[in-house]
Amino acid sequence: MVSRVRAELRKLLGLPTAWVGLVLGTLTAPAIVLLNAPYTRRAIAAGTLTDTSDLGLRDLGVGLIGPMVLGVIAVSSEYTSTSQHAPGARQLTATLTAVPDRLRLLVAKTAALVLVVAAQAAVAATATLGLTQVLHGDHVPAPAPARVAGAILYWTLTALLAYAITLITRNGIVPLTLLVINSTVVSVSYLLTKITDLASYLPDIVGAQMFIRDADFPVEIAPLTAGLVMTAWVAVLLAIGAVLFQRRDA
Amino acid sequence: MITVDRVSKTRSRTRILHDVTFEARPGRVTGFLGPNGAGKTSTLRILLGLDRPESGAALICGRPYRKLDRPLTTIGALLDGSGAHRARTARAHLRWVAASNGLPDSRADEVLEIVGLTGDARKRAGRFSLGMSRRLGLATALLGDPEVLVLDEPVNGLDPVGIRWMREFLRNSAAQGRTVLLSSHLMSELAEIADDVIVIDKGRIVARGSLAEVTGDHRTLEDAFFALTATEAVRPW
Amino acid sequence: MNVARAELRKLLTLPSLRLTALLTWAATLLLAYAYAYADRDAPLGDAALAPLGYTQAGFLVLGVLAAASEYEEGGQIHTTLLAMPRRLPLHVVKALTLGAVTLPVAAVTAATSTLPAGGATWTPAATAYLTLTTLLAAAVAGVVRRAVPAAILLLGLYFIVGPLLRARPGGIAAYLPDTAALDPPRGAAATVAWTAAALALAALTFHRRDA
Ligand SMILES: Nc1ncnc2c1ncn2[C@@H]1O[C@H](COP(=O)(O)OP(=O)(O)OP(=O)(O)O)[C@@H](O)[C@H]1O
Ligand SMILES: [Mg+2]
Repeated sequence: MVSRVRAELRKLLGLPTAWVGLVLGTLTAPAIVLLNAPYTRRAIAAGTLTDTSDLGLRDLGVGLIGPMVLGVIAVSSEYTSTSQHAPGARQLTATLTAVPDRLRLLVAKTAALVLVVAAQAAVAATATLGLTQVLHGDHVPAPAPARVAGAILYWTLTALLAYAITLITRNGIVPLTLLVINSTVVSVSYLLTKITDLASYLPDIVGAQMFIRDADFPVEIAPLTAGLVMTAWVAVLLAIGAVLFQRRDA
Repeated sequence: MITVDRVSKTRSRTRILHDVTFEARPGRVTGFLGPNGAGKTSTLRILLGLDRPESGAALICGRPYRKLDRPLTTIGALLDGSGAHRARTARAHLRWVAASNGLPDSRADEVLEIVGLTGDARKRAGRFSLGMSRRLGLATALLGDPEVLVLDEPVNGLDPVGIRWMREFLRNSAAQGRTVLLSSHLMSELAEIADDVIVIDKGRIVARGSLAEVTGDHRTLEDAFFALTATEAVRPW
Repeated sequence: MNVARAELRKLLTLPSLRLTALLTWAATLLLAYAYAYADRDAPLGDAALAPLGYTQAGFLVLGVLAAASEYEEGGQIHTTLLAMPRRLPLHVVKALTLGAVTLPVAAVTAATSTLPAGGATWTPAATAYLTLTTLLAAAVAGVVRRAVPAAILLLGLYFIVGPLLRARPGGIAAYLPDTAALDPPRGAAATVAWTAAALALAALTFHRRDA
């Protein structure tokens, strides 16, 4: 098992695009905190920020492109062609020859992704929240450990969401487009909450309630429940992806 | 007529071609021979205008590829893969290529027939086997009924029937006065069809001439090849 | 003329383009409905264009797929360049045909978003914007040569970096290529300039680089 996870880690970290995801995801949020420092200071002084304990945690959101890219690329790289000589030659063929048991392969792949993303989330969160403390420490309370853990979990689950959707679509563009446009300031999911309260239970909206307090969520959900609902989404999609992966020809 | 004149090329700071010079004449099959990584594909890509030479020139009927009008009516080329997008059917692929050179749509079905893919015309290129992909690539090369044929490892991936068919096809093409240049590292294969032979090793031409000239005092072309390229006949793995 | 016919055929026989166009239009319809339902009292201009702010992603993908399809497995780019070796004219024709194919899709999508909100006057501008956005994406993907990295780059710029810059007062956000999506009169010049620049860069690399 350990060797399989290590092989999957190597494969993931050997992809140039994965590094784009790693670098973007890790650096964007701290960079935003730095860039926005003057505005934030002014906003604090003017008292327009209602809940300053959200501050660093909110900025963390822009880094989510990192886990999204990593989750998508972990699967889509298996399906892109490795050779012009043989049509349909994919890395997956080699992968399945090395690890024919597909369920074990998926477990190893998932574990590798979780390891990378959780580490990235921890680094990004530490940098972002640390910077926020350094820059605005006098006005911003140190974030509660539970909320930081919630944010790291949110990153990891987002990566797994991207990963699961890609397993289902076998194509990287579709999940990437969906997830990225849905991570914008006014996301499509958020828009849907204006139409129906049910949309509050969409994974990205509900998951944010694990660590963000001050937002106009139409339905207040306790952090623990929020975490469970998002995990359930990911679990169901992963299960569908796993079943399809088992059944389909490579 | 193909003329390659002192072509050099550097890739990733390594010289992969050194003053490569040779000719391929009409009515003859010219074999381009060399071990893996010798520079055969690199030379052909420059000849076909896909890559630029650092110095020197490669001409087809006296003109560089990029200056040819409706090039497919002058030269047909077969490179790696099918050259078709996996989502397109064989026929749709051939039809857009035909349109690009002002050839009628009917040519698509004609060349499919020539290479024996008539039954697969509606199949998507991504579903083709290796040998079928090569045939589709060859069909594309034949669309414009060109007077020059350039083929990189044409028998690669073909079954025995396909190999024999290819051999006869190339011989006939030369007999009709066409210029045929093909690369290979299959010695016995080449010895059977080539009139002229060019041997390249580590980016340099090490021999060129008629089959008999290049074979020289050696028993076979294969022996000559090993002597010329200084590779050991039997490698202890 | 032959070149245009060939490029047109290529675009029309690529299933992924048809699918992307269809999905983009369907998503626009859904969002137009959502906007109409969500804020009935909001000012007209916003609801007319806001759905396109999201579904322009579909046009980015359209451009990316059209350009990157040349470089996928099978090596279609070889066939293209062997058949049409004059690269600069080829590049121009490629942009024109992609524009011609995208235009009707853009018009229908734009109308789907603008008409229900009573913003019919925006339709021509929105159509032009979406078409130019597709060309810009195709130019970028032509330089990057691979679909997923190109999509990451473009989607990241349009949906993450752009909104972030725009959230800050003043600054360079007004010069981003997608400014026209929110503020057509001011952003039109930016969109045209960015698209032209991207196409010029793509033409240069296409001309210079080994295939
Ligand atoms: N894109 C590239 N970047 C760097 N080096 C390259 C590139 N393409 C080819 N080469 C190098 O150029 C040399 C010649 O390669 P080429 O493909 O022309 O060989 P070949 O004679 O066709 O070999 P084979 O018989 O294996 O097909 C090799 O050393 C190869 O590593
Ligand atoms: Mg080769």
